[in-house]
Amino acid sequence: MNDKRHDPRDAELDRLFELARQAPPDISGVERNFEGRVMARIRESREPWYAWAWRLAPIFLVLTILLGGWSVLYPPIHAADPVTMLASGTQEVALLDYLTGE
Amino acid sequence: MAVPDGDADLVRSAIGGDDEAFAELVRRHKGMVLRSAARFARNPAELEDLGQETFLRVFRDLRSFRGDAPFGHWLSRITVRVCYDALRKRRREEKDISMEVLASPVADPSTGSGPSAHLARMILDQAMSRLKPEDRLVITLFELEDRSVREVAELTGWSETRVKVRAFRARRTLKRLIGGDDER
Repeated sequence: MNDKRHDPRDAELDRLFELARQAPPDISGVERNFEGRVMARIRESREPWYAWAWRLAPIFLVLTILLGGWSVLYPPIHAADPVTMLASGTQEVALLDYLTGE
Repeated sequence: MAVPDGDADLVRSAIGGDDEAFAELVRRHKGMVLRSAARFARNPAELEDLGQETFLRVFRDLRSFRGDAPFGHWLSRITVRVCYDALRKRRREEKDISMEVLASPVADPSTGSGPSAHLARMILDQAMSRLKPEDRLVITLFELEDRSVREVAELTGWSETRVKVRAFRARRTLKRLIGGDDER
């Protein structure tokens, strides 16, 4: 690969490579405490699946509070419609009467 | 507890569950891994990802290290493999990259001193992003890391002939790109 080249673009390319080699990439920012971050990733990958359950607890808590608030603000509708009554489960007797024609 | 000082001792301790031994391996070799990966990363975040992925893979495959070659060689091969995988994944994203930066401080004969080292890197980065991942990998190891054909072949697991062909093709494409006649 180091043979004499006559194409002027070869010389140009070699010059670019030579210059680029003189400017090694700056890794100082990433190098700082890199091993700490790698070890944290490794420890994270070792955690059992149920360790995640605790992290999801706040989400379930918020969900429970929202559902509680919603059920207080919007109580079930008591309509004359038999399907709604069936769904509500509170008018079973009336529904039975309606269906049996009494 | 005695502190193991050779890489092979650290590997054995790490396999036995000693996290501090593995952390010491990372501490010893992070410079080499990051310097090598930096040739392929586009920004510090990507460099961090490549470095972490390399050491996670090392940790996962630690038992397959046989110890018949220095740990650093084995680690270099994994670094190259991780960077190559990243190049392949990235390939599609960079197809439409602008080539404006190649407009020629290099080609212009009136430019007395030519480009700075930083500009040279920028120009090469842009041009090399147009290469196929295999070609980019080979030309980076060969020209920027100044490795021999045999070393590149060992690191990539490819034959020396394949490495030479890839390097030749990469140079040809780069010359075309830097010369301004982009045919793609």
